[in-house]
Amino acid sequence: MVENSPRLQQRLKIAAYLLIAGLVLEAITLYWSSPLSFILFAGGAGTLMVLGIIVYLIAIAAA
Amino acid sequence: MVNHAVTILVVLSIILIGLLILRPSLTAVTGGKILAFIALFILPICALALGSAVHLQHATSTNFCLSCHPMEAYGKSLRIDDPSYIPASHFQNNRIPRGEACYTCHTTYAMFGGLKAKLGGLRHVYIYYFGTVPAKLALYEPYNNRECLHCHAGMRVFEESSPHKEMMGQLGSNEMSCLTCHNKTHDVQNADKLKFWKGP
Repeated sequence: MVENSPRLQQRLKIAAYLLIAGLVLEAITLYWSSPLSFILFAGGAGTLMVLGIIVYLIAIAAA
Repeated sequence: MVNHAVTILVVLSIILIGLLILRPSLTAVTGGKILAFIALFILPICALALGSAVHLQHATSTNFCLSCHPMEAYGKSLRIDDPSYIPASHFQNNRIPRGEACYTCHTTYAMFGGLKAKLGGLRHVYIYYFGTVPAKLALYEPYNNRECLHCHAGMRVFEESSPHKEMMGQLGSNEMSCLTCHNKTHDVQNADKLKFWKGP
């Protein structure tokens, strides 16, 4: 088996943590119907997940 | 129902991403690379899109609007025990869906009306949390008859009754506002002097 480079592994890990944080935040906001939950979803969960996806794309593009 | 579907998707994504964190060597083989692509790209995009749909749906609910303190009096006005009050009589007689009462009458039924309402809502949220809520709330623009006619136009009881029949043209062009005659709306200033319906 060919191992991934440490740099790729690290980027994938960062992307994974960002996505998990965003997904957990999204799950919390889904069961709370208030303007603040919308802000948390759009500003918090959305931002974390978009960042996670971008980091993942950078990781595979640079690999 | 949709909430649960999105939750399942979110949990599934977290499990797969967790697996990639615990076993990073998985991504060295083709199958693992595909798994990583699904877990780190496809599923989060789906979760984000479906989450946005759920939140936009939540934003149309009466409870959502009334969760802001300045709207409480307007919510209370939906229960005024007097059929001459237009919002109250619509709410109490199920002429509008009670769960989406605010959104039904305060969304512009025009192209991008829903988007305009959402942007207005975001502005309200900003003012509520970071700005100063004005003492007296007012609509951004005069209430458009289009919002009433969205439901009433085509109703026989409305179109064939006097004086609607004689002024359909004026109502359609906003030359005459529906609120000229039906002028009892939320009336939050006088709410203390009124009786309230205790129904569901």
